[in-house]
Amino acid sequence: MKSVLVFGAIAIVLTAGSRLLAHHSFAAQYDATKVIRLVGTLTKIEWTNPHTYFYVDVKDDSGRVVQWGLEGASPSSLSRRGFKRGDLKIGDTIIVEGYRAKDGSNLADARRVTLPDGRIISGASTGDGGPQ
Amino acid sequence: MTTRFFYIAGMTALAATLLPLSDRLRAQERSLTVVDVPSSRSTPRTAGGRPDLSGYWKGTRDTKPGGNIGKDLPGWKLPLTPAGEAALQHNLTATVDPEALCIIGGIPRHNASGLPFEIVQGANKIAFLYWYSYFRLIPIDPNRKHADDPDPSFFGEELGRWEGDTLVIDSIGFKDEKVWIDENANPHSDALHVVERWTRPDADHIHVEALIEDPKFYTTPFTYSRTWVLGQPDEELQEYSCSENNVNRDHLGFGPGPIRPDGTRGYSDPAPLPPPVPRK
Repeated sequence: MKSVLVFGAIAIVLTAGSRLLAHHSFAAQYDATKVIRLVGTLTKIEWTNPHTYFYVDVKDDSGRVVQWGLEGASPSSLSRRGFKRGDLKIGDTIIVEGYRAKDGSNLADARRVTLPDGRIISGASTGDGGPQ
Repeated sequence: MTTRFFYIAGMTALAATLLPLSDRLRAQERSLTVVDVPSSRSTPRTAGGRPDLSGYWKGTRDTKPGGNIGKDLPGWKLPLTPAGEAALQHNLTATVDPEALCIIGGIPRHNASGLPFEIVQGANKIAFLYWYSYFRLIPIDPNRKHADDPDPSFFGEELGRWEGDTLVIDSIGFKDEKVWIDENANPHSDALHVVERWTRPDADHIHVEALIEDPKFYTTPFTYSRTWVLGQPDEELQEYSCSENNVNRDHLGFGPGPIRPDGTRGYSDPAPLPPPVPRK
């Protein structure tokens, strides 16, 4: 997970103050002390309700490939922010910052997603009480 | 690297401020809650002269704490009986949020939700349509009476009637299991009785005054009031299949997690995310 330089424009989607589809409490599933950043290769996309899921292969520090599931807001919420299903394809690299599940599984809440085109999108379900 | 992070953060903030005002306003319009503003448009009325409550209704940012049925009580302190306190502790420590398991939230929880809803009003019935593709369909008939022993349901047995320009919905016959009365895991029993009084004071606002009685779990009746704002003409509910891919079912813990001092669910001091990673 090496940091790299940025080229091209960065856009931010305005979501301040919006409340989105809060299907569950953030705090019932995720640990707000366990921040995680993952850079992974997309292996599966689930553009579904109540949440979107992005499954990625991530190389850990020893070079081993580990699969992670990343939970995003609902399709309608992401679409409202300009993040469309067609923005991703299998094999793309995405960067996600978020929080790990409390149960220790390889599942994280994707609060921020950097798309292949460089756009940075909030993946948060705002009404879930989680960090914005 | 730190310098680059600051550069990226600065560029990101700059990009936001450089967006045209119209785009920023549109972003607000499309969000699910809005800033409340006065309206000069009068209440629309049906052919029969009643207020027409139809519309796509969005919460305002003045509704605090969101998701808490004790919003209007001092310190948001609900008047729990000992049985109600026991039920709350059970909900907190032994139950997963029913809404997260795709079980209907019911009333009054839906009135405390942050999600918009839609009303379609007919002459003798009114439909409340909710995200999650749930609905309640209420007869408007002053002559209908509650059943002696209604089958328990999440929305209850609901009877509507007009009192002047106020639509009154009187509901009994609620479930007493797999229900939270709000997002904070507060309980209600099968003795719940809810009287909602809905008004549309102008074209752009709808308001409810709800009286909540539950002698098993609450020592006294209490009220919950709230105002919503009319959405844009082309805004409407969309399909939302809660059970399509509910991965959460296998990962959720009991209860809502911590409740903050402001009465909302969530951590008070979450660790911040790191700055965005510059991309190659």
